[in-house]
Amino acid sequence: MRFIADLHIHSSYSRATSRDMVPEGVWKWAQLKGITVVGTGDFTHPKWFAELEEKLEPTGHGLFLLKEALCRKDGVPRPCVGEVFFLLSSEISCIYKKNGRTRKIHCLIFMPDLIRAARLNLALSRIGNITSDGRPILGLDAKELLKMTLDIAPDAMFIPAHAWTPHFSIFGAASGFDAMEECFEELTPHIYAVETGLSSDPPMNWRLSALDHLSLISNSDAHSPAKMGREANLFETDISYDAITEGIRTKKGFLGTIEFFPEEGKYHYDGHRACGVSYAPPDTILHGYVCPMCGKRLTIGVAHRVEVLADREAGFRPPRALPYRCLIPLPEILGEALGTGAGSKAVHEEYVRLLSTLGNEFNILLDAPLPDIERVASPMIAEAIRRVRQGLVTIKPGYDGEYGRVKIFEERERREIKGQGSLL
Amino acid sequence: MTDTLKGLNQAQREAVLTTDRHLLVVAGPGTGKTLTIVRRIAHLIGRGIAPTDILAVTFTNRAAREMRERVSALLGNDARGVFIGTFHLLGLRILRDSGMEFSICSREDQTQVLQSVMGCTAKVAKDMAESISRVKNLVETASGETVGVMDAYQEALKKGGMCDFDDLIGLPADLIGEGRAAYGFSHIIVDEYQDISPGQYRLLRCLAADRARVCAVGDSDQAIYGFRGADLRNFLDFRRDFPDAAVVVLKENYRSTQMIVDAASGVIRNNRQRIEKELTAVGAIGRPVTLISVEDERTEAEFVVREIEARMGGTSHFRISGLADPVDFSESTYAFSDFAVLFRTNGQAKALRDTFSAWGIPCQVVGEKAPLRRKALIDDLKAQLSTFTPDLDVEGIIRRINPESDPSTAEHALLANLAAAYGGLPAKEALACIIDELSMLGTADAFDPRADAVALMTMHMAKGLEFRVVFMAGAEVGIVPFALGREDADIEEERRLFYVAMTRAKEELFVVHARKRFLYGRRLPGSPTPFLSEVPRELVRTSALPDNPKKKEGKQMGLFG
Repeated sequence: MRFIADLHIHSSYSRATSRDMVPEGVWKWAQLKGITVVGTGDFTHPKWFAELEEKLEPTGHGLFLLKEALCRKDGVPRPCVGEVFFLLSSEISCIYKKNGRTRKIHCLIFMPDLIRAARLNLALSRIGNITSDGRPILGLDAKELLKMTLDIAPDAMFIPAHAWTPHFSIFGAASGFDAMEECFEELTPHIYAVETGLSSDPPMNWRLSALDHLSLISNSDAHSPAKMGREANLFETDISYDAITEGIRTKKGFLGTIEFFPEEGKYHYDGHRACGVSYAPPDTILHGYVCPMCGKRLTIGVAHRVEVLADREAGFRPPRALPYRCLIPLPEILGEALGTGAGSKAVHEEYVRLLSTLGNEFNILLDAPLPDIERVASPMIAEAIRRVRQGLVTIKPGYDGEYGRVKIFEERERREIKGQGSLL
Repeated sequence: MTDTLKGLNQAQREAVLTTDRHLLVVAGPGTGKTLTIVRRIAHLIGRGIAPTDILAVTFTNRAAREMRERVSALLGNDARGVFIGTFHLLGLRILRDSGMEFSICSREDQTQVLQSVMGCTAKVAKDMAESISRVKNLVETASGETVGVMDAYQEALKKGGMCDFDDLIGLPADLIGEGRAAYGFSHIIVDEYQDISPGQYRLLRCLAADRARVCAVGDSDQAIYGFRGADLRNFLDFRRDFPDAAVVVLKENYRSTQMIVDAASGVIRNNRQRIEKELTAVGAIGRPVTLISVEDERTEAEFVVREIEARMGGTSHFRISGLADPVDFSESTYAFSDFAVLFRTNGQAKALRDTFSAWGIPCQVVGEKAPLRRKALIDDLKAQLSTFTPDLDVEGIIRRINPESDPSTAEHALLANLAAAYGGLPAKEALACIIDELSMLGTADAFDPRADAVALMTMHMAKGLEFRVVFMAGAEVGIVPFALGREDADIEEERRLFYVAMTRAKEELFVVHARKRFLYGRRLPGSPTPFLSEVPRELVRTSALPDNPKKKEGKQMGLFG
């Protein structure tokens, strides 16, 4: 069966993470979002581990279910109700010096059972402190971490997280590497995937032939329930640890990903915020990396990093490339349609109303027939969803600390559509 | 045959080549003293001295291991037979070679023995253990209470087939002095000579016994174990004990920047009991020493954390958003182990460690990991000895003891290191040697170099180490010099300790003092240590962090995911 998986989230024990990120909360929101398999996140944290042990029960196929007694039906609208499976996952921050430079790499690890996750935790506790943060910082070479993981569980999965963010990723401009082999050396064949992260989408990654044999996965890295599923993976496999990891390893049953617009990131393009200058990488190079207004150095963004490492032109699509969809989270769509912020009361009410009638968020964004949506939602909202589905949005890329903007409507259009609605 | 003089400066050469008489090498910090000793050993062997006739004594087991590695790297099998170890290890070897069979009585065991002998509480027994240790170390006659207890104590040890650590020094000296053991070397090199105790000194004299050339290496400015009975005068009056000794001074510091070297020299110059020497730095000029005043011990720790993060370009997004220039892709070249925070007393460690932990910065409080696991390990290894088979190797041993053993742990690394050190010996002997060494590891050896973490340690523990960036925390009156609960601080020794701490820094030195501090239940005056006024003004940059107007308790950043 087809299902959506978001395998990288954070628990309430991680820094700057919502208190609602507890097993019950994650279970509830996974249903609201339409996620079937969700990563537990943070299994290295002793308290979270204990909570998982206490509140989840194994399915026998390497995944877990929330214990029956904890499944509160009242939080979830009927059309959203669905099974939610948990997959043991954790993220570790490796900060170390290699080949003369400081490296900072975040690594995702998936484990098939609690016993082996506990073994890894024990080994890590001897290296450093895993009790302060759900995502621990260890002065440990990522390659060593990979080795430790494989020694404990050969069927564990090790995936470099958000591979392009400037500061904490394997290819990051500030403290990453130029190639996977520099980081993992002879253990590189044990890497089967990278997480593209919010700051990159598959087309950006297709420009590196070195990544062709890898799977490009996408996850939300959510620190609050509402952000779950903002990126996710689409599978058509058995719902088991082995099938999912096999899908990631071989692409068998891995159908593609759901992406955030990378242009929304605040370091997508290059530029100089103070001067209002924003450049795509080729223009930056043309201008000699210098701001034409003030002469200072331009701040370099993620797209540029891709440009530097890419060995192919933009637009190239490798033969085994998987499909992807760029989406905007429903609250943000509603926000734009209603002319308010995504966190407003109006949006929240409309969100609940739509979920109660149309089912989970992914269903609304991807599958529900437009006539059904039009029957229930305002013309503005229906039109917004239609446009997002077709990719009819305008994108202004972020740069130098300024968030990018994705717009569905022009002001003029909004007034027109609103006008239409009132006539009907 | 390697060129043993390659790359040595003039003074180092002299120290290597002067082998026809006794030699005192006055080696300032960072002047390459281990290198010099290693090359001296190479030179001696090159000149035909039998390796078994050479003794090199180090201060800690860690230092011994490092020296063994370097000697082995330089000379390979040619150096097989050179004894490199601490006085304790040497004493142990002498006793075993003389046929004595015994086990080592650790400090815990000592306390237990004394408890049964005296029928008292653990605390009383512990104090008595220290008292007895002092007597033995200082080669004094016991007085007062101690007299009565000592004989009973030694009896109990004998009955239990045990020797305590101090016996490892005293008994061999007795044996050799009384002619009951013939042990000697033609060349003896003693490192950290300024810190040897009278007991060790006595053992040394026995071993030297008129036939050996003694090369004492040390620095009178770094004598910091006077409180344990070390007598600086042994160093200063070397030629009184070893006539016609040559003196070589190693003055070129390869470790630190000029500013750091000069700042440290400015301070130590104020001691009177010393051998005059002017250190010069080979490296860059560097930056001034930063003296910074903070509100209290918590802001002190936060200051250190921020400075570390700034140099590492931030350790999490949470912090990066607070940095001035978060997208400055300046190429950071730091690792956590490049940083150290030094403090005068263990009571200061908690505030630092808690803050580091809260901010997720990996840190290692040196001297903290209790040897409990080690005791279990030793017991297991001893059990192994009884079921011994000749083909046993370290991996085999470890797997036998603990099938789940993780190859990446510090214990495993330590065992592997020891196995390599004794690899040439017959397996049973190697195992015995490994057990011996493990039994003697002290807290100074607990520093795990594999874990990349910021080092937190007392100034005493920092001896012999170096870091790119050093933070001296708690540089305040009452702490430096340490005067809490002591009537008379030995000012000169405290100044030497301060000097040792300063000279650990390679590139940057921060001296931090808090205006308010609570330590050991006491509120401290909060003024900077007087030693700071001894640093030449032009070498210091002073700054202050103002008090926080109101304390915000762990403000959580917005949920931007």
